[in-house]
Amino acid sequence: MATSNIHKWASLPDPSPAELARAAEGDAQAFKLILERYQGMVYSVAYNVLGNHTDAEDAAQEAFLRCYRKLPQFRSEATFSTWLFRLALTASVDYKRRERRHPEPVETPEMAAEAAPQLGEGVDAATIVAALHDLPDDYRVPTVLRDVYGLPYQEIAAATGRPLGTVKVMVHRGRASLRLKLRAEGAGPEQGPAGARPRSDT
Amino acid sequence: MDCSYFRERINLYIDGEMGYLEVAELQSHLSFCPDCAAELAEVGEVRSALAAWGRLELATPPGFVERVMAAVEVEPAPGSPKPFGQAVDDTLQKLDDTLGRIPLPGGRTIPVKNVIGWGLAAAAVAIGLGRRHGRRARELTPL
Repeated sequence: MATSNIHKWASLPDPSPAELARAAEGDAQAFKLILERYQGMVYSVAYNVLGNHTDAEDAAQEAFLRCYRKLPQFRSEATFSTWLFRLALTASVDYKRRERRHPEPVETPEMAAEAAPQLGEGVDAATIVAALHDLPDDYRVPTVLRDVYGLPYQEIAAATGRPLGTVKVMVHRGRASLRLKLRAEGAGPEQGPAGARPRSDT
Repeated sequence: MDCSYFRERINLYIDGEMGYLEVAELQSHLSFCPDCAAELAEVGEVRSALAAWGRLELATPPGFVERVMAAVEVEPAPGSPKPFGQAVDDTLQKLDDTLGRIPLPGGRTIPVKNVIGWGLAAAAVAIGLGRRHGRRARELTPL
């Protein structure tokens, strides 16, 4: 049932084989074109996994450095964007394991294109950012990997180095916590008549 | 059965991890329990909002491209021989990827390669102590 955003990124036009070959040979200008095209995708992944701008920038930079080093190993069985997306996820999760989080006040990041998009009934970007920001790291990372990016549980367990059962429990708790936070914000569907809590107008 | 039994299963249902019989049982309960049906709808809304959030592209901080390019320009060309330190880092990373990690109580994990490393170090110390003990015993043995 999981919808994977990998498919969304896979729809980005890939660099041509000639562009990739030049970048793999160390042509800085060719690599810069790739960087400019995919910076938003890689930065978004890093921000969603790490939850703050300072760490996201470091991890996104690390992802592009890994991309540069591994370009000669890229094979066209996968699309380039899917390959880079996986590199960005791995770099971000590795960064999470290695580094201490830089505490930052919650601040809605700027979008590359549209402003203040609605993500559902009564849910806007600021609501989601604040709710994710408040989640403990142990819940946020697996929940983001599962429900923001649609990764299978097995892959999340491998990426985070946690047992499969633990990952599932963390995702379930993350969802429960987000549900309560969004409900408190007055977002989400209308409650049923029994046990319903009135929606806030804020 | 009370609602707590079904509420614990809502996530399994959403993740498609229930058998046919369990699905039928849950769906039957949902058809007459508005509280559980509301909870299922809310979790669904949360997941939809998260998926929609994941499709958005965030703007990178000013100067991001320039900073990455500055880091790239001091890198050796891709495919060229790696500096020793980076080659060691990559090898250790590959060992981690290949051997995996061992779960510990409290949800923590430890890389298998570390355990092997400690085991080898302990074996080396044991062998060293054994040899020393043997030499000492020979020295003390009367001829």
